[in-house]
Amino acid sequence: MTGRVTGARVRRGLVVAGVVAAVAFPLVSHDPYWQTVLYMCFLMALLAVGWNVVSGFTGYASLGQGAFLGYGAYATSLLTLRTHAPVWWFVPVGGVVAAVIAALLGLVAMRLRGHAFVIITIALVYISQLVAINWRSVTGGTNGLTLPLPIYGRDWQNTPYYYALLVLLAASVALSAWIRRTKLGAGLIAIREDEDKAVAIGVNAFAYKLVAFVASALFAGMAGGVYAYALTFIDPTGMFDILFSVQLVLAALLGGRGSVWGPVLGGFLIEFIDEGTNRLFGGGQVHIVLFGAIMVAVIVFLPRGIVPSAERLLRRRRERREGRVDQSVDLRVTEREPHRPPVTGRTLLELRDVHKRFAGVHAVDGLSFAVQEGSITALIGPNGSGKTTAFNLVHGMLRPDAGEIVLDGRRVERLPAHRRAHLGLGRTFQITRLFPEMTVLENVVAPLPRFSWRRLAAGAVSGAEAERARELLAFVGMAAFAGKRAGELSFGQQKLVEIAQTLMLDPKLILLDEPSGGVTPAIVERMVDRIRELNAGGKTFLIVEHNLPLVAELCDPVVVMAAGKRIAEDSAAAVQADPVVLDAYLGADWNGERVEA
Amino acid sequence: MFLRVRDLVAGYGFGDILQGVELDIGEGTVTCIVGPNGAGKSTVLRTISGLLRPRRGSIELDGREIAGSSPRAVLEQGVVQVPQSNGVFPGMSVRDNVLLGAYPIRRDRALVARRYAALAEKFPIIAERAGEPAGNLSGGQRRVVECARALILQPRVVLLDEPSVGLDPMALKLVYGAIELMHAAGTTILLVEQNVRIGLSRATHGVVMEGGRVRMSGVAGAILGDPAIGELYLGGRAKAATAGEAPGAGDSDG
Amino acid sequence: MTQLIEVLVLGLLLGGIYALAASGLTLVFGVMGIVNVTQGAFLVLGAYLTWLLWRVLGVDPIVLALVTTPIMFGVGWLVYQLVIRHLRDAPKATTVLATFAVGLVIVGGLGMVFSNDFRSVTPAYADRAFHIGALYVPEARLYGCGVAVVLLLGLWQLLTRTWLGRAIRAAAENPDAARLAGIDVVLVAALTFSIGTATTGAGGSLIAVLYPFFPATAYVWISRLLGIVVLGGMSSLRGTFIGALLMGVAEMVVSTYVSTSWTTAVPYLVILVVLLLRPDGLFGRRERRDVAVAR
Repeated sequence: MTGRVTGARVRRGLVVAGVVAAVAFPLVSHDPYWQTVLYMCFLMALLAVGWNVVSGFTGYASLGQGAFLGYGAYATSLLTLRTHAPVWWFVPVGGVVAAVIAALLGLVAMRLRGHAFVIITIALVYISQLVAINWRSVTGGTNGLTLPLPIYGRDWQNTPYYYALLVLLAASVALSAWIRRTKLGAGLIAIREDEDKAVAIGVNAFAYKLVAFVASALFAGMAGGVYAYALTFIDPTGMFDILFSVQLVLAALLGGRGSVWGPVLGGFLIEFIDEGTNRLFGGGQVHIVLFGAIMVAVIVFLPRGIVPSAERLLRRRRERREGRVDQSVDLRVTEREPHRPPVTGRTLLELRDVHKRFAGVHAVDGLSFAVQEGSITALIGPNGSGKTTAFNLVHGMLRPDAGEIVLDGRRVERLPAHRRAHLGLGRTFQITRLFPEMTVLENVVAPLPRFSWRRLAAGAVSGAEAERARELLAFVGMAAFAGKRAGELSFGQQKLVEIAQTLMLDPKLILLDEPSGGVTPAIVERMVDRIRELNAGGKTFLIVEHNLPLVAELCDPVVVMAAGKRIAEDSAAAVQADPVVLDAYLGADWNGERVEA
Repeated sequence: MFLRVRDLVAGYGFGDILQGVELDIGEGTVTCIVGPNGAGKSTVLRTISGLLRPRRGSIELDGREIAGSSPRAVLEQGVVQVPQSNGVFPGMSVRDNVLLGAYPIRRDRALVARRYAALAEKFPIIAERAGEPAGNLSGGQRRVVECARALILQPRVVLLDEPSVGLDPMALKLVYGAIELMHAAGTTILLVEQNVRIGLSRATHGVVMEGGRVRMSGVAGAILGDPAIGELYLGGRAKAATAGEAPGAGDSDG
Repeated sequence: MTQLIEVLVLGLLLGGIYALAASGLTLVFGVMGIVNVTQGAFLVLGAYLTWLLWRVLGVDPIVLALVTTPIMFGVGWLVYQLVIRHLRDAPKATTVLATFAVGLVIVGGLGMVFSNDFRSVTPAYADRAFHIGALYVPEARLYGCGVAVVLLLGLWQLLTRTWLGRAIRAAAENPDAARLAGIDVVLVAALTFSIGTATTGAGGSLIAVLYPFFPATAYVWISRLLGIVVLGGMSSLRGTFIGALLMGVAEMVVSTYVSTSWTTAVPYLVILVVLLLRPDGLFGRRERRDVAVAR
């Protein structure tokens, strides 16, 4: 623990010293050169901090961050020139304009993933530049816009910009740190690690990404207004410069994306390198080569960036000092007769004539079946019979081409997956999908019961939630692993944690995709025991499983699928004796040999 | 011994998954490795086939050292691995999928054509669906294509990683039928199974692994009947309460 | 009417050359899953090489594609070994940033060597044209398109008829299984990247004759090539070919009937519209993604 305390103290000390030095500098020195260098540092840092919210936390790399500076600059300049009011009045407006453009753009761009998003942000910069060049009547085209000269005296000529950008930097860091601590931040990181899974546990990924995108643009836009005034001249190539975006991305990568202070450090470093090489080589082409080379080097040799790499090193050291804690899975099972909950006769889930096609393959072809409340229903069938597709249709990862899916009396086939999670649907995956970089406890806390603006602002892990998560981990026998990174667990352990994670939202219906697949018999036994326990407490299950003895032991009724349709539904014993099932599932020449597990 | 493994140590990242594995496999046998998750079963195959470089130890094939060789060099020695599920190239035709097995002998066109024709005769599915993309096949059919791809080289040793995983009983018969064919042709087979009974009932010899070491080996029937295996592997209730999985074992067997 | 036909013909000829230039981007994405935005810089590098050799040797620039193509293959090999090889485990978006950075190094380097002035390659036929009826077809464009189509057909044969082609496709679809079949996946990736660089470089040679260029034109080309492959569904050569023809025609239409100052906007608009309305491209097959969990 001493390592952590010292680390935090050192950081706090550095931050306080930095802030004091930054605030005091213009009072001590009127040197306009150094003030300019420093406010450019602030600018680069605050843009990198904004980029980090959408690209570091959320994992959506953007090369368009610089464009928001341009929007703010143009908005502020145009308003100033039209109204002849002081520039400062319109700086916040510049921020709002950038944020609104980000929101509109995000509405469409945030539907894209991975490389498509990067491509569209590159396009954004160039389109903005083209519009600024060609819309001469407003933007002045390539002649640009000239703002009224500042009225500050020689000694103070750069000081207002210096403080304005310092305040904006502080505000962006505060916003970024705050987001990191809240549900919003936890959700963004979940999206970065595995977006489909995040949606499956109730995170409204689209809304989260949109908020992050807008937040990243706000201060960049305001900074654009200040920057325009500092330059007193803006033009399309200067304001919508892809190289500028590259520099701020490089700053965030170098300092460390995903961390709060990394981009700040990176911003200062990049600006100093920029200034230094400008003096040495006079900018221009050498400059471009240099920044390209640094970026390649950072991505290849220092992919995590300075701050996270340092933190990792410290954590490794601390762990080595503290030694390994002995951990084991609690595999005890309750030795008592399983009792079934009273059958309510209510239908919890119903599929009516559901169809789904992929590139010519009719994966689900008029599937209908129902799951009664309080049952443990199995869904079995030969490979390629459409079980997994049916699962994904119910859970919302896929949408049916036709047919109805009714969950607890409500049509859900058009609802996104996170809404279905909010309506009481939980699921595990055949190959577990925990967030590998998060701890086990953070994983269990990650699910969100509903979307609301207030929840976004709530702390990421509240006391009550942590307590409940620990209870659930104890329930599946994984209490000893709460602080471990999920990626370090074995497959069987991950399956248990995923069940605990599903339970966090207290779902009515739990879908389990091959719970026993690839898991040791001891863990299977524990899992079966927990499923029984939950079922006794009123939870309904729908299970896809290949292990037939297990199905026979645990499930009733059993729904059998073949070629995308339901071909039988009965008790396990009856299904196994059904000639139709034998024919389709076991093969016509099946000689009665049992495949046991 | 035909395939002799001594003191094999291998792993990913920080940990060693194999901690001194010893194996003796006779020519023409079908040996099945069983054991709980994280025992290192798949890792043994990956190390033999060259996908994973061993940190220590030796692997001798017919007196020749192959430890640390590239997958390609191992292949040239006549050792072929059928990958664990999803081993087909879904966008390529069934024919091309099988033919790719002949990549190392691609220069001898006549030989490749002859062997392909023989395989198409042995596995009707290949002839029937030669032109279709392999992505359209069912799970069992895909495994057959993978086996055929392995056989086109006429290998001396075939390594099979969990051939039964995710398969329904009918597909299982198809796959084990293919294994029978290989065995009948005199090929030495080393396979890994999660499922003890399925694996051992079809093998001549059995190997039980746990915690990166071989715990037991012998004739398949004897292993299947040994009560100790129940305790070791199936985790009787008494033992289950204390038998935690090794923490942080990078589990490649899942 | 004649003008429209002429615009279409010129657009299609231009598109044929675009297709060759964009083939590298498609190939590298299809096999390696990397959006290699360095391609714009490779194209301009190919153009400069052609210009230099044309000035020094006085050989016909289109014939020079025979010389520049192997050189560009070597450049691709070098870039792969120095940078791309190390990106195998990096997130997709990061690889785009990395290739963009490599592009910066090339563009800056070209600026240092050749300065920022416009260059153009002007063989004797640069200003000549065939007059077919009322149609006016510049010779350079016709020759360029012809060479491009021949090279593309060669590439197509390579991918579908040879063992190297099979190995490339196998490595793209299932690297682990390809390794088990004895294919050296790293070597295949290096070859693919180099072939992609070479075809784009050859495209650069042809384009050098059509348009003047300077280092920063690389940025324009990145967007144009991206627009083409996005239109064609990213990883299919056939889709890219059609996408390139459409792009060529669209640009000719805009510059003739709207304004040349908006021509450069066409690729961006294509990118925006296609990615938002049909992210799989006009010809991309909708693949099933829900079960394709990476292992």
